[in-house]
Amino acid sequence: MEMHSQAFLENAREALGDPEKTRRRGLLAAFTPMVRNAAMESFGKFEPLRQHLRRVRQHTLDNLDHYLDRFEQEALSNGNHVHFAMDGEEMNRIVLEICQRHSARRIAKGKSMVTEETGLSRHLQGAGLNVTETDLGEYIIQQAGEPPSHIVGPALHKSAAEVRDLFLARHDLGERELEETSQLVQEARGVLRQRFLEADVGIIGANALVAENGYSMLVTNEGNGDLCANLPPVLIVCTTLERILPRAEDATAMMRLLVRSATGQPHTCYTSFYSGPRREQDTDGPIETHFVLLDDKRTDILASDYREMLQCIRCGACLNHCPIYAAAGGHAYGAVYMGPMGSVLTPLLTSLEESHLLPNACTSCGRCAEVCPSGIPLPDLLRDLRQAEQAAKLSPPRWRTGLKLHAWLARHPRLYHGLTALGIPLLHRLGRRRGSFSKLPLAGGWTSQRDFPAPQRKTFMQAYAGVLKAEKKRRRHD
Amino acid sequence: MTKSARSRIFAKIRHSSRGATAATIREELDSFGKAPAADLPTPDTATAFLANVLKNQGTVDCAANRTDAVRAVGQYLYQHYRTHRLVAGNDSRLAAMPWRDAGVLPRFGTAEGNEPAALSYARLGVAETGAVVTFTGKANPAANNLLAEHHIVLVNCEDLVGDMEEAWLRIRHEVDRDGRPRGINFIAGPSSTADIEGQLVYGAHGPRGWHVILLGYMPASALEDARALAAG
Ligand code: SF4
Repeated sequence: MEMHSQAFLENAREALGDPEKTRRRGLLAAFTPMVRNAAMESFGKFEPLRQHLRRVRQHTLDNLDHYLDRFEQEALSNGNHVHFAMDGEEMNRIVLEICQRHSARRIAKGKSMVTEETGLSRHLQGAGLNVTETDLGEYIIQQAGEPPSHIVGPALHKSAAEVRDLFLARHDLGERELEETSQLVQEARGVLRQRFLEADVGIIGANALVAENGYSMLVTNEGNGDLCANLPPVLIVCTTLERILPRAEDATAMMRLLVRSATGQPHTCYTSFYSGPRREQDTDGPIETHFVLLDDKRTDILASDYREMLQCIRCGACLNHCPIYAAAGGHAYGAVYMGPMGSVLTPLLTSLEESHLLPNACTSCGRCAEVCPSGIPLPDLLRDLRQAEQAAKLSPPRWRTGLKLHAWLARHPRLYHGLTALGIPLLHRLGRRRGSFSKLPLAGGWTSQRDFPAPQRKTFMQAYAGVLKAEKKRRRHD
Repeated sequence: MTKSARSRIFAKIRHSSRGATAATIREELDSFGKAPAADLPTPDTATAFLANVLKNQGTVDCAANRTDAVRAVGQYLYQHYRTHRLVAGNDSRLAAMPWRDAGVLPRFGTAEGNEPAALSYARLGVAETGAVVTFTGKANPAANNLLAEHHIVLVNCEDLVGDMEEAWLRIRHEVDRDGRPRGINFIAGPSSTADIEGQLVYGAHGPRGWHVILLGYMPASALEDARALAAG
């Protein structure tokens, strides 16, 4: 993957400068949590199921050697070829070799974040293969030559008008009406149907690998992944080790939270389990099937303090609930994974040097951890990464000096309280009339998007001391 | 190359593993119990299933017997296409249907790229999700689920289960008897996408219409109650 995380601040500033895109991001940031919350409310068992799944996944990671071994055995006995890849390069090489062995020219590809991570499509195209992304969102950004802006809805940053212009430019279909979204979908359906029928190889990802029976689970609404898995004569499933779950019912139990978290649906249109090549009696399905299981630092993460991150099921809820993601947009992160999960994963998958700004893209509001169906303590992991950043002296000297000063002050409570007791009433007096500031010195970036509320007259500690005093008095009177 | 990746990966995982025995691992897994499932909108499984199919933007019909079922298929085809063209898998249950009663004669085989309608006989229906379950194979080629404009699915009342856990119990039973099918498909709605501006559009890559016909004995008010539940 190409990394531009060093430029996070510039990217974010640039993103905020486009009022139309900022407006649309705002709409999505309001809409996506709403549908997720409604779905969880009507489900009513978010917390108990989250706890259950956490236990199952923790158990799976604790015994990953056992389950991976079992999955491999079952997948082999189902008639698959199973490959392991240490890194993205190795995965790409294995996939290209399979394609070349079959003299494949046309590849139909389903949505897979893992292959985004390894840059598989670019690799195959570089070798002269014709790769078509078949998920509508992925297809749109492939045509536009852009990276995904969201792990679930990769093209949500584009307006329907932009998609229309793109299709008019890219599809040689003459004069036609493309006013409605449904017409755009219809056009893509027609173009892509042909690609499915012509494809020599299908490539898909997996939402889960089931150890007990060697099936992989694929979840889509469009059905594109299923067309990739069923029509071409060769199927390659590209995924990572931590997708393994012990039993089939663990995979479908996970679905209950995954889909509600991702799109607010109780489940997707297609939940499919594939075991391998066509059976003797079968009249369709691939003749040869492969699993390529990628490590790419997962085993390092497994052995680290960030192990919980391997429980992520890529639902995108933390992105949808993140104020920084909403403000800056997915492209600002300059990486394949964005938002809170990306800010943890990217430094772990690349290096802290390259992406140390990302763990700072956090207001510690905690919404991501609240909604994460895997119960990953994202703000804590981000804080730990920031600590590592401080320790490695990667943050700008100005920040470090500021933090040091703050730490020193925090250790001198009298001085701290004295200074805040001076500052807070001053801000209160200045902002009293409007109740907020639309401009503040040194905080222009912040106030360009929203107003800073004027503080109450007293500091928190002063108000708290008042409450304690009143409470004492009340007790004396009781 | 690949072999070395395999051994390196296993070595690294073993290093972080608890190294428990298979029996201990099994015991721990079993101790977690059953995952909480979604509640059914009503205690009657058939009504709940129909309600959830409707919520999934499917259309439904009920049939007391096989003659009614083929008539329902014929009606649906006529409504949408004014034709009786239909493809169905080589399923002995479908072959034995009284097709002549409805004036429909399916072509038994695999769907082509431009088929108007395909018919499947589901193995199961899941009330929790309003999904039908098919296995790939001669009786139901995968293409039949995916390539036609409309997908019509028959489900027997006695093949309805409450939740996904029950579905797997039934599937395991069939797999133990007949071996593992290549694909197990849970289908819960016409194909859809919200990839452009979050707007939901049906008929993304797969069928744009999904019609479920429930066959067998069910409460007389099942369909009416299901419609009320789905609307509410
Ligand atoms: S970290 Fe949690 S909320 Fe974010 S994508 Fe992963 S599972 Fe979903």
